[in-house]
Amino acid sequence: MIDRSAIDTLRADFRLRLAAATTDRDLKALDDAFLSRRSGSVTALLKQVASGPPEERREFGRLVNALKTEIESALDGKRAAIASTRPPAGAVDVTLASRQIPMGRIHPLMRVRQEVEDIFVRMGYEILEGPEVEDDYHNFEALNMPPDHPARDMQDTLYLGVPIPGGIWGAHRGRVPEAQVRTATLLRTHTSAMQIRYMKTFPPPIRLIVPGRVYRRDNLDLSHTPMFQQFEGLVVGRGVTLADLKGTFEAMVRELFGDVKVRLRPSFFPYTEPSAEVDITCQSCGGAGCGTCKHTGWLEILGSGMVHPAVFEAVGYDADEVTGFAFGMGMERVAMLKYGVDDIRLFYENDVRFLEQFPL
Amino acid sequence: MKVLLSWLREFVDAPDTTEDIARLMSMRGFAVEAIEPFGDGDTVIDFEVTANRPDCMSVLGIAREVAAAYRVKLRTRGASPVAASAKAPASLAETARRRGSPHGPKGSAPESLDIVIESPILCPRYVGAVADVEVGPSPAWMQTRLQAAGLRPINNIVDVTNYVMVEMGQPMHAFDHARLAGAQIRVRPARAGEALRTLDGQLRTLSPEMLAIADAERATAIAGVMGGGDSEVTPATKTIVLESAYFNPLSVRRTSKKLGLKTEASMRFERGADPGLPAAAMARALDLIETTGAGHGRGRVIDRYPRNIKSVVLRLRREKIAGLLGGAIPDRDVRRILERLGFTLDPASGGWRVVVPTRRVDVTREVDLIEEVARHYGFDRLPTTFPALTAAAPPLDPRITCARHLRALLTTAGFFEAVTFGFIPERAAAPFAADGDLVPIANPLSELFAVLRPSLLPGLVDVVAHNRRREQRDVRLFEIGARFTRSGGERQSLACVWTGAAAPEHWSGTGRPVDFFDAKAVVERVGQALGAEIQTTPAREPWLAAGRSAAVVANHARVGVVGQLADALVDAHGLPGSEPVYAAELDLDALALAAGRVVRVEPLPRYPSVTRDISILIGDTLPADDVRRTIREAAPPTLVRVAEFDRYQGKGIPPDKVSLSLRLTFRASDRTLTDAEVQAAMDSVLSALREKHGAVQR
Ligand SMILES: [Zn+2]
Repeated sequence: MIDRSAIDTLRADFRLRLAAATTDRDLKALDDAFLSRRSGSVTALLKQVASGPPEERREFGRLVNALKTEIESALDGKRAAIASTRPPAGAVDVTLASRQIPMGRIHPLMRVRQEVEDIFVRMGYEILEGPEVEDDYHNFEALNMPPDHPARDMQDTLYLGVPIPGGIWGAHRGRVPEAQVRTATLLRTHTSAMQIRYMKTFPPPIRLIVPGRVYRRDNLDLSHTPMFQQFEGLVVGRGVTLADLKGTFEAMVRELFGDVKVRLRPSFFPYTEPSAEVDITCQSCGGAGCGTCKHTGWLEILGSGMVHPAVFEAVGYDADEVTGFAFGMGMERVAMLKYGVDDIRLFYENDVRFLEQFPL
Repeated sequence: MKVLLSWLREFVDAPDTTEDIARLMSMRGFAVEAIEPFGDGDTVIDFEVTANRPDCMSVLGIAREVAAAYRVKLRTRGASPVAASAKAPASLAETARRRGSPHGPKGSAPESLDIVIESPILCPRYVGAVADVEVGPSPAWMQTRLQAAGLRPINNIVDVTNYVMVEMGQPMHAFDHARLAGAQIRVRPARAGEALRTLDGQLRTLSPEMLAIADAERATAIAGVMGGGDSEVTPATKTIVLESAYFNPLSVRRTSKKLGLKTEASMRFERGADPGLPAAAMARALDLIETTGAGHGRGRVIDRYPRNIKSVVLRLRREKIAGLLGGAIPDRDVRRILERLGFTLDPASGGWRVVVPTRRVDVTREVDLIEEVARHYGFDRLPTTFPALTAAAPPLDPRITCARHLRALLTTAGFFEAVTFGFIPERAAAPFAADGDLVPIANPLSELFAVLRPSLLPGLVDVVAHNRRREQRDVRLFEIGARFTRSGGERQSLACVWTGAAAPEHWSGTGRPVDFFDAKAVVERVGQALGAEIQTTPAREPWLAAGRSAAVVANHARVGVVGQLADALVDAHGLPGSEPVYAAELDLDALALAAGRVVRVEPLPRYPSVTRDISILIGDTLPADDVRRTIREAAPPTLVRVAEFDRYQGKGIPPDKVSLSLRLTFRASDRTLTDAEVQAAMDSVLSALREKHGAVQR
């Protein structure tokens, strides 16, 4: 008597063990356990066939052989499945750390500078650099600040211990700019000195941006450094108005800060009349009022005004024929507002951990 | 200017909250620095008064602006709260009318005062008066108001002078009559070396360009700056001389600067007081002395006004208003605004003829009037337009394009851009400039900012040190900016520093520290980018390590240096000497002259090239440059490239020799080179190397 249930038991046992097999070694063990010529359990069943009653032999042999075929093909299938999960020859672990391509960063102040330059280039401005060492005439006198003018107190000046040759500017414009011949005696307190040099060299119309470093006798603190970066803007021509100045700032501020409001507040600079400070909506509170904006909802970003007739007279322009506007903006101020920096000294410490927070 | 709200309200009814007043006034040019509660339900508003508006350094001045801003009436009569003391003060106009008439109770003694102005240019007007007083504390309300304005109450006489200054803007001074020799006021230049002990207790030496208020014998005050201690009003003082004058702004400013002495008075005089005010202020002071019970005026008020300062008269044209502001402003607004501010307008062709009040020292041109109109009309009500483009923009400054180019190049090479100060300590600068070539700052803030930088490197090395102290082992930095020397003036420069690994650490292999050839590659790349061919030649710099420093040459001109920083320098900046720091600095002005290659495309080669490698034994101090030069000179023009690919010293090589391997590439533009041709070229190259350098082929 042959026990047919033994076939079903073996099949169930095989299926269970096959499901648990994950390696080639597991499969080899299964192969041995079921199909080995000497000790395989299926082989043992086949041996029983001969000893069974003849009327059952044929049918029983067929069933055992079917089981054998099933096990063989299942093992082959699983073997192929395991092989397909193995990496191909020459494969790498793509999750390993990459070989870094070192990447530096443009300084945030220079990012701002390039951004502002681009804005004004699109508006048709010339961008020019001027010398950092200056003389009294260009930095003060021609800007309507004669010696002993009280407004000179507004900017505490650093003077040179010895006069030195001034810097070169505008060499690409093909002339010898008048200003180069003078000897420098001080560090410019503002980029406005270039207004004079430029107007003495070139006739109107003018659309000019002068970015650069300026110096004041200020101690280092949260919002002051003895050197900082400024933009000078100058537009001169027939019929240039205060309304044009407003429009220009609105366009610039929109590009720099997005959708914010701009307002002009009357102020005083000796070289502009009327003069105005320009405020934008406070970035921290959106205009509702907060500590940053002294609860006004506004933050000052630049000083501006219509070019004073005395300045036109100093450079030999006819103040009755042309008008113009000028402005000066601090790059640190813009960068602080734009990037949420609350200590100006961070810009001059150049801590790599600070610098690398800016995208390239 | 700290203004007590209740004091302000005596002159003007501003129908608004304190915050709204502050908001509106800041839109009229008086930014508000602070609003602070004061005393019993009162408020102090601190207005920022710009340097051109000395007329607003007073409660009345601010009140006038508030009245114009709110279009309300200005009361010029200051109704001081003398409530407790019986008498209400007379109006200013009333007392001013009494000027010149005997002042004080009938039957008082004559004034017994003589005023002589010796320098009418420096003192165009001097108003003096005598009063008999009983010195004591001033009334509480007066003390409170002075304190609100930031002044310390002293006594009833000094307080009255300060009160008038804060209220009307006229600085005043009181002398002890008994201490004035000869009962005389002489306004004269100080004598050389004349000494005076000022009210602050300092003994000051005067000089002849300073204006003194003197008695018959000596200086008793520095005009417009500070009184003298000797003639100070004390509790013992019985009779005073009051001064209400107008002094030349420039003279007061120079004196104040020279003495380093800034006072409430000098700040007002140097910006420009109102020459029309001294008499009215004197009347107000005498009134206050009387109404507060401090004393009585005696005799006449003396008004010496040798140089009458006339009102400025200006033309104001409609067309110019619109031309400057970009929009027309209605005539009635022009008139209303200016009249409220105290200007007088008469119609004239195309506009008005405007008389400027003497207190408005800032208004000297038509454009100043236009500013007044725009200010009170409101900048926000002006139209917004865009300036018309009437000419093409000139080309960009090549310096700016160059800087942008370098930034892109160096950041992609792993360098961080730094921005450092233009001035550095002298000892940090010294190695970078010849003796006497440093530019000192005459008035530096501190020793840290003593000289202009002769090089960008000291600042950059400090930044390396800063980052090294913060766990950054590998640091690559660059800066673009100006540097300065006495002989060379201001020059544009690029500096780079590199310390740590040549490439970032990676699991696949061991890193290598940065060396000279990494630094040299940076310099060459900058040259390439700017179109200049870079060579390096051995050079010595005191701040670079001997044997590891080179001059950078472009187009036969020296444009910079590259090398390893000397141990002493690295040490001086607080960096460990064991980690080399490589640095380079290039003069961008010089490099710009050497560069400027025009791009012309050459045809691509049509025939194959042939390469030959050689290895030679040469002296180990022979520069590779010399070897390459010898090869080039000996080879035919078909040699298109020569480059060393191996250098070996050690086993099998004599001690003072080096084995150098070079790869030579030959190519002709019109044919395929034959073996024989190339071999002939190699033969002459090898024989030249033998002859010139004693080279032995290996
Ligand atoms: Zn805010």
